[in-house]
Amino acid sequence: MPKNKVVPIEEAMSHVESGMSIAVGGFIGQGDPLTLIDHLKTMDVRDLTIYENDGGYRHRGTVELALQGKIRKIVASHVGTTPDYARLMNEGKIEVEATPQGTLAEMLRCGGAGLGGFLTPTGVGTVAEEGKQVIELDGRKYILVPAVKCDIAIVRAHAGDTWGNLIYRGTSRNFNVPAAMNARFTIAEVENLYTLGELDPNAIHTSGIFVDAVVRANVEYCTLREETFNG
Amino acid sequence: MADAKSIIAARAGRELRDGQIINLGIGLPTLIANYVPEGVDVVIQTENGAIGVGPAPEEGCEDRDRANAGNQPITLVPGGSYFDSATSFAMIRGGHVDATFLGTLQVDEKGNIANWIVPGKMLAGMGGAMDLVTGAKVVYIVSEHCSKDGASKLMRQCTFPLTGAEEADVIITERALFRRHPDRGWVLEEVAAGYSLEDIGACTDMAYQVADDVRLDAFGD
Repeated sequence: MPKNKVVPIEEAMSHVESGMSIAVGGFIGQGDPLTLIDHLKTMDVRDLTIYENDGGYRHRGTVELALQGKIRKIVASHVGTTPDYARLMNEGKIEVEATPQGTLAEMLRCGGAGLGGFLTPTGVGTVAEEGKQVIELDGRKYILVPAVKCDIAIVRAHAGDTWGNLIYRGTSRNFNVPAAMNARFTIAEVENLYTLGELDPNAIHTSGIFVDAVVRANVEYCTLREETFNG
Repeated sequence: MADAKSIIAARAGRELRDGQIINLGIGLPTLIANYVPEGVDVVIQTENGAIGVGPAPEEGCEDRDRANAGNQPITLVPGGSYFDSATSFAMIRGGHVDATFLGTLQVDEKGNIANWIVPGKMLAGMGGAMDLVTGAKVVYIVSEHCSKDGASKLMRQCTFPLTGAEEADVIITERALFRRHPDRGWVLEEVAAGYSLEDIGACTDMAYQVADDVRLDAFGD
């Protein structure tokens, strides 16, 4: 019988230490793991490096951790929806590394898939190729992008079982899938928790093999509670 | 006369072909969805993870798990689906998207596009734009002809950091439509109502040829 990975949030988050890298699921608020981010706000950790599509939405998301001085660097496709991130960068308090969205998603996926990197045509002839090797194959130029392997991943799912099989809902799937498979230790907050066998095996988006700890999402962040998966 | 953005979106809508898969950037390009010609069915992909984007939901029916890349609530048409970000960019980089429509800060003679950062200003980031201009089969630049200070956005050479090198295929502004040909470079095909060939020349810094069959009063009235 697959192991029960449901633990108190304090226990799950005790794996996070200063100086670690964290892959964060979500897309400007869609599927952002706000329960876990809220918990990080209460922890004494610093010098975190965040890999996330964006900084959250307006005043919610990892931008709150940045304002607390917990983040050293964020690798993101943009931070335009969280002006505080851009401001902190301009004040020299944080480093923002802008990365094309597809490249960032693939860096996370490859890191989880055991690949050392990949070749992408995106960004050839732009600043995206700075400091990277450009390789020509069959007459087309590609940037060699190393994969990233994070210490921790935090994700949010619409439904999950006790082993960490996850189902996302709508456009909240986004970076949660590549983030969940990426890290050495993945923590999932789930809106609806099920026992083994209750979720349709055909409908699982993230296998529990990638998940190390499951916690309940804060009720106020849940879009839909205890409904069938019709959308 | 309609405002510049509506004129651009309406003309861009006439480019759409039945069955095309398209991706619309945030802002002005989103308006193109309002100008899909009758009898033309396009499938809209949004890079945060949905295809088959339909009309905005009725008030009160918004759903936090159903939104586009600009965080506006969406619906899906029958046959639409959701996917993760790695899959979304496999679609985009993999050449499965027929056309992308993007705004710009600058575009130049070689088809270079600069639309993600103004040096010295607050950084936002390129989002999915670099992947879109690289992977989409046809890249449409839909933008006002000049910046707010009156300078031509259609430049000899971009001065801002590039989003994509030699990726722009068509430029649609409220004043004109240009298409880029491998051998001839940019060709002025259409001039909007209210402008003359001379007007376009005066507000366009990039070099271009004028099509033999250039159409005046082609759109915008």
